[in-house]
Amino acid sequence: MTAIDAKTLVPATTRTEPTFWLLLRLKLTILRNRMRQLTDQTPLQLLMVLGFLATIWLGLYLIFDQVLRFIRQYEKEAIIALPYVFHLFFFSMTILLGFSTAVLVYGSLFAREEPAFLLTTPNKPRNIVAVMYVEALFFSSWSLILLGVPLMVAIGSVQGLPWHFYLTFIGAFLGFVPIPGAIGLVIALLVALYLPRVAKRSLMYAAGFLILVVLIIWARLWVISSTENITRQWVHELLGELSYVKSVLLPSAWVSKSIQMSIQDNSADAMFYLGMTILTGLCMSHWAISLVAYKLKPAFGRAHSAPTHTRNYTGWASRFVTAIAFFYLSRRMRAVILKDVRHFLRDPVQWSQLAILFGLLSLYLFYLPRSRPDGFTLQWQALICFMNFVAITLILSTFTSRFVFPMVSLEGKQIWLAGLWPLTRNQVMWAKFLYALTVTACAAIPVTYLSVRAVELSWAMGLAQLGATFGCCIGLCGLAIGMGARWPNYKEPTASRISSGLGGTINLIASVALVASNGTLFAFTCLYSLNERQLVGLEWHSATALAASIVISVSSGAFCMAIGIRKFRKEQF
Amino acid sequence: MAIQIENVTKCFGRLRAVDGISLNVKRGELFAFLGPNGAGKTTTIKMMTGLLTPDAGTITICGHPMATDSQIAKSRIAFVPDQPFLYGKLTAREFMRFVGEMYGIDKSELPGRMQHYMDQLAVSGYADQLAEGYSHGMKQRVVLAAALLHEPDVLVVDEPMVGLDPRTARKVKDIFREWANAGRTVFMSTHTLEVAEAIADRIAIINHGRIVACGTLAQLKEKAAHEHRLEDIFLELTDPEDPPEMEETVLTS
Repeated sequence: MTAIDAKTLVPATTRTEPTFWLLLRLKLTILRNRMRQLTDQTPLQLLMVLGFLATIWLGLYLIFDQVLRFIRQYEKEAIIALPYVFHLFFFSMTILLGFSTAVLVYGSLFAREEPAFLLTTPNKPRNIVAVMYVEALFFSSWSLILLGVPLMVAIGSVQGLPWHFYLTFIGAFLGFVPIPGAIGLVIALLVALYLPRVAKRSLMYAAGFLILVVLIIWARLWVISSTENITRQWVHELLGELSYVKSVLLPSAWVSKSIQMSIQDNSADAMFYLGMTILTGLCMSHWAISLVAYKLKPAFGRAHSAPTHTRNYTGWASRFVTAIAFFYLSRRMRAVILKDVRHFLRDPVQWSQLAILFGLLSLYLFYLPRSRPDGFTLQWQALICFMNFVAITLILSTFTSRFVFPMVSLEGKQIWLAGLWPLTRNQVMWAKFLYALTVTACAAIPVTYLSVRAVELSWAMGLAQLGATFGCCIGLCGLAIGMGARWPNYKEPTASRISSGLGGTINLIASVALVASNGTLFAFTCLYSLNERQLVGLEWHSATALAASIVISVSSGAFCMAIGIRKFRKEQF
Repeated sequence: MAIQIENVTKCFGRLRAVDGISLNVKRGELFAFLGPNGAGKTTTIKMMTGLLTPDAGTITICGHPMATDSQIAKSRIAFVPDQPFLYGKLTAREFMRFVGEMYGIDKSELPGRMQHYMDQLAVSGYADQLAEGYSHGMKQRVVLAAALLHEPDVLVVDEPMVGLDPRTARKVKDIFREWANAGRTVFMSTHTLEVAEAIADRIAIINHGRIVACGTLAQLKEKAAHEHRLEDIFLELTDPEDPPEMEETVLTS
């Protein structure tokens, strides 16, 4: 065959119209290749992920099981409270799934090269939208499966329900997922049409709105809970505040009704509500897909070509803050940090997650003393002090795994620049470590201080908790920077994908292990102090446990930094 | 006519990215589309390939209006963007098979065609590796091979030579020329003026969203009243200090 032969190259006719199934097969091939790659190249990572999932499922199952058994002890309250568990669960899932589907669909339909490629092919927009929608539903509903399956099994075992309950439950789940999914699909379209180029900001506004709603609900509940003791009246009032989640207009109410009816062995009503849920899900999906397909091209055009809101950055604030916070460093090291600070501050997705995590934790700590107006007993003090420490350090470990670990990799294709800077590679690594430590400590120390105040700890115990938290900051930042340099991924520009790789997974496990060991030692600190019947000062047992916790943190961080620095120095850019 | 663009305008907010342009590209023609950065080349191409809708005017591909008959128009066209897109977790062979099925190529015919174009563009050596490991040039070759697979009447390429080694670049130029000689149309947007000068039948220059010149190289030289190279003509016509009158330089369409 010659290169181009006019005789043989008759215009290719479209014999079969490209279909939804062709695109779905493409997605399945991609998934198969991804799985094959995982099993071939990083089986350990796959095993660890599966192990973690199994642990989380088991843990959730045990929690649900205990909660349901606890509720069952109070029969009358259980009759009132149990439906609320379902209503609240599916109501919050509606919001969570709608939001996550919107984010995923926007990413796949309007913000990637893939739709640009698919839109130039003769495939109908409807097929493209449908397959992206199914893909988004698949990836967004994992949280429902993660939480829902243990809940289902726990209910089934506690109540001793027959096999058809599980079928109804699975049907209700599958029928319910498209309802928030369709809402998310339309939200993504509206963002592309009316808020192009500010999708990240839109995400922020939506997150802000959700937090506002949570705060309003919280404030209303606070008014009730702070004025009443836990009585039947209190429970009724509290549940009355949540009665809107039972509104018959909410699909989340139908799906929970369906499950409740199934639990009560009322098959007819269970099928009625299940049918309503499934039909609504299908209808909403059909309408949403049709609408988005109809508007896909103009929305894509707007998302990709609307004029950018240009803004001139002077950067004086970041320069000022960096100059003060890192005054003790050389000007060149400060320059490296300033670059990272600006990257962080100018990416709302990055800093907003930190703000949300620690903001919610601060609210909890602010609320804590009001939940027990009569003050804390010694045992409560010790327990809550320990729980607060674990909560803060766990959040820290999430933060360092998600944001600090990718810092070295994010130098990306420009990593060779680091080799040209008039700094030693050690200095580059230490600059990154100090920057990460400053940010994490600035978030963690005030929150810890709040927790100390909330539990009304003595100054000695307060200092102990602050010291242990700071030690943990050092350890976690050292781990994340060191391992980030040991297992870098310079090809990947997205921080979340870098942190979900092999190195990120190892770092996460190591971080959780560090938190666990520190938590255990801090528990000893609290326990020994409690044994002294005072919890006001540190005797030698508790001081030893505290010192061990700090030593383990600092030495783990230093060890990982040494490994990371060694690798970074040998790196051939 | 393979491509008919009539009074097409596209605005982004206050910016008039494409301002009432008209172009006709015949079958069997290798057409080069030149212009400085931000002149409106990519916007024009995106409208031709159905990615953007014009605010005014019509675009017709092989007699099928892109606005009303887009599915058939798209089945007659292939687009190779400047940033080649491949699914990272697919191999080149899987990607080409997908494209072949998308364009409805007969199953019995597909493997032969795939092998032919993979051999032509030297893709076969890495056809079974995942695309995430390809260099820019390797991706460009795969995307080009996939674009040729359904043997489109109109091939639209944006910056085809970027990232290609000299041997592949030469091969691509030969393919374009042969493609046009076989009665098909190649519409090529490029900054590489030497390529346009060497292989294009006709050249259009766009600036500030308007066509400032269109014709064969000889016509452009004649109108520019000097025997300079295309580079000099381009610089003269797109000089931001001294923009030319459009009527004086538009030669044919």
